[in-house]
Amino acid sequence: MLVVLSFVAISAIGGYAVFQSRGNASEVKTVTEGIVPSTLASSDLVAQLKDVQLATMNLIAAPDQNIAQQAQEQLTAGKARLQAGLDYQLKHADSATQRGLIQEAHDSLQDYFSSIDDAARFKLAGKNDLANATFYAGVSQYQVNLQQNIQALRVEKSRSTDAATAALNQNLSRTVTTLSGVTLITVLALFTMGILLYRQITRPISRMQHMMSEIATSQDFTRRVPVDQQDEIGKSIIAFNTMIAKIEENSILLKQKTNDIQTMLQNIPQGILTLTEGGLIHHEYSAHLESILETRDIAGRTLPDLVFSDTTLGSDILSQIDAAVGSCIGEDVMNYEFNEHLLVGEIEKRMPDGRVKILDLNWSPITDDADTVVRLILCVRDVTELRKLAAEANEQKRELEIIGEILAVSQDKFHEFIAGAIKFVDENEQLIREHAKHDSETIAQLFRNMHTIKGNARTYGLHNLTNIVHEAEQTYDALRKPNPDIAWDPASLREELAGVRAAIDRYARINEVSLGRKGPGRRGSIERYLMVEKAQIQETLHRLETVNTGNLHELIAARNAVHKILRLLGTEEIEETLAGLLESLPSLADELGKETPLVKIVDNGYVVRNQASGTLKNVFMHLFRNSMDHGLESPDERVALGKPVAGTIRLAMNVVDKQLQLRMSDDGRGLALGRIRERALDKGLIEADAALSDEEIARLIFRPGFSTAAKVTEVSGRGVGMDAVQSFIKREGGQITLRFLDEEVGADFRRFETVVCLPENIAIAVDAGAGSAATAAASVAEAKPAQQNSVAGA
Amino acid sequence: MAQVLMVDDSSTVRNEVCDFLKSNGLTVTPAIDGKDGLDKLRADPAIRLVISDVNMPNMDGLTMAEKIRGELKNAAVHVIMLTTENSPAMKERGKAAGIKGWIVKPFNGGAVLATLKKLVTA
Repeated sequence: MLVVLSFVAISAIGGYAVFQSRGNASEVKTVTEGIVPSTLASSDLVAQLKDVQLATMNLIAAPDQNIAQQAQEQLTAGKARLQAGLDYQLKHADSATQRGLIQEAHDSLQDYFSSIDDAARFKLAGKNDLANATFYAGVSQYQVNLQQNIQALRVEKSRSTDAATAALNQNLSRTVTTLSGVTLITVLALFTMGILLYRQITRPISRMQHMMSEIATSQDFTRRVPVDQQDEIGKSIIAFNTMIAKIEENSILLKQKTNDIQTMLQNIPQGILTLTEGGLIHHEYSAHLESILETRDIAGRTLPDLVFSDTTLGSDILSQIDAAVGSCIGEDVMNYEFNEHLLVGEIEKRMPDGRVKILDLNWSPITDDADTVVRLILCVRDVTELRKLAAEANEQKRELEIIGEILAVSQDKFHEFIAGAIKFVDENEQLIREHAKHDSETIAQLFRNMHTIKGNARTYGLHNLTNIVHEAEQTYDALRKPNPDIAWDPASLREELAGVRAAIDRYARINEVSLGRKGPGRRGSIERYLMVEKAQIQETLHRLETVNTGNLHELIAARNAVHKILRLLGTEEIEETLAGLLESLPSLADELGKETPLVKIVDNGYVVRNQASGTLKNVFMHLFRNSMDHGLESPDERVALGKPVAGTIRLAMNVVDKQLQLRMSDDGRGLALGRIRERALDKGLIEADAALSDEEIARLIFRPGFSTAAKVTEVSGRGVGMDAVQSFIKREGGQITLRFLDEEVGADFRRFETVVCLPENIAIAVDAGAGSAATAAASVAEAKPAQQNSVAGA
Repeated sequence: MAQVLMVDDSSTVRNEVCDFLKSNGLTVTPAIDGKDGLDKLRADPAIRLVISDVNMPNMDGLTMAEKIRGELKNAAVHVIMLTTENSPAMKERGKAAGIKGWIVKPFNGGAVLATLKKLVTA
């Protein structure tokens, strides 16, 4: 806009100057083309008048007609010229005064010409005197008049010319003045405009430039350059501000992304680092890397120094890695493809305190638009735990496989196989010990024995064992060749044999402990029960085979599931163990004339190994019979006492103080301490005057041959009562006690419970976590009965 | 009319790489050092790819690469070095000589084959 304004101003000045000079030029033209020539012509008039006068005089004075005729012609021409000159003057008269003077001259001319004509006529008529008279009287007189008129006109013309010239001069000087003024004004205007331009353009531009530099250096994209006017600068500022807004938007996005990446690097449970040119570790790496490598000093170091130190990697491998890394960074991505295989995927790194960590390394290139590798990214994962779990899972898998293999063999055949295998191993051991030197016969025997074990193991499908036995057999096979590659080395042979023995022992142990198939074989429920488990084993094996070993959680879940199965193999619920006994209670109650008691069993989440089920059945058969025979009253008695007709027997199982504890009690009459004492006296077990505590009396029931029943019933009291029970329990490494539940010391009947303790390993918590919680809760409940009330058997 | 020139003074490496490339459908000319390599390359304009060891008698691989671009004015052939080490100085020299790739020994056929084939047909 300002530019437009300046253009208009300059054009106006130019236009004015052009207009002025045009005006002046036309004035000059008027003066030079009109006024000056007419002034000059007025001078000509005098000469023309003189010509006419002279011609007239010639005519008058002409001596003959011919000359007169010639003079007449000259006169006519002179008259015409004079007339024309005067007409010209009239035409070019530029004032009233001039026109008046010309008119006067014209009139005088007419008089002059008519006098001349008269004189001429007289002359031509030959009247010379008359002609002379007319000439001197009229013509000369009129000529003087005319001359005066013309003179006056000349004076007037000169004056007019001077006036015109003066006017022209004045005009010119005015033009000069005007142009000077206009120029001055223009200069002033331009100066003003300059200032305005400075204020409107230069200042905003420099301010804009200043602000822009400030924004650029401060990187504060929230700032904007203020827009003061809506001109080009204003528009550029708006455009700039729009650009800054875009930059701000992008920088916010960038910040957000950077922040995201930083947060990821801070929180991702993985060690991530990048390698820059020269194999140096970039200062931006994930925080978790510090905990994996157990150092904070990471940035700027090299891989061999930071990651590969204290590992099992040899110097050659390290130099390969170094060369591979160097060959990739800064080069085309194809170099990564070429050398990727040299970048190790897993290392074992020894920490300063001696722990060994297994680190999983995952490499990838970061490329730019030109497919050049700018950095290498390395993800480091601590897979120590994962590998341990995987190894555990693998071990469990093997155990499950072994179980599956064992289950496919009948118990007696398996027992026979194990016994035979051990015999061969023993024999081989002896052979090796007895021979310090290579002996073909011995080696042949060793081979035959091992070959037999392998053959049998293979026949029974014991694959895990077959593989191990095969190794040993191969060694013997190598030794028995004519020129063996290996030497006879008793130490290594014994070591190998020990491995075979361990494998056989493992099979035997799994058979006995996990499967509860001790001995040459028991037929019946156990075998049937284990058949059911087989399906579960297969399912678990499948689960182990399909588990993603790279996923810690999945691996833990699988391990726990398998662990549970392995733990629960060969176990059963106590209710299941006692099922036969519980089923027999109604008929037993009938026999005794009592109501079938209510049995309440609380297992607290434990199951029992079925190795112990025989003992448990025997023990509780006796204890339940005793309870129903001696403890629970007859229906009539119970009604009289206000008790429910049917009695209640409670059995609670728990693990307390590293022992399986089975506590049994009933709501019968309690322990008949008076009758126990009498019976003991009768049997001569105590002296009549013996001072015995309630606990000591209670203990008498465990004496061999003790029986309290008034008559020997068919159910209990056969003299093999509590002492037999006690011996069953002792055989399993346990003990049985009675514990009083009331404080009525010395009473005839006291409430009590029977506590059977067995080794802890008989009990298995179904759910490891829940089991221990139940134990804790049970321990609190156990704290109630006073310790001195406890009555230990024998 | 071979596609690949394999330059290595070690006959073991040379034969192994040649056999591998041949068994994967490439035609290969062996050369025993840089000088031999240059001669073979001069003689056979069909060669599209040079795989060369670095340290060799008579003429090393890097010098050969420089001469391929310089003396032979052959800018079309791809040069890939087989190496055991990698220093910044070597890389810089290689870049100036237009070396396209570095394969660190031991040579892994599977990893490089696809790319090599691409270079030969490119």
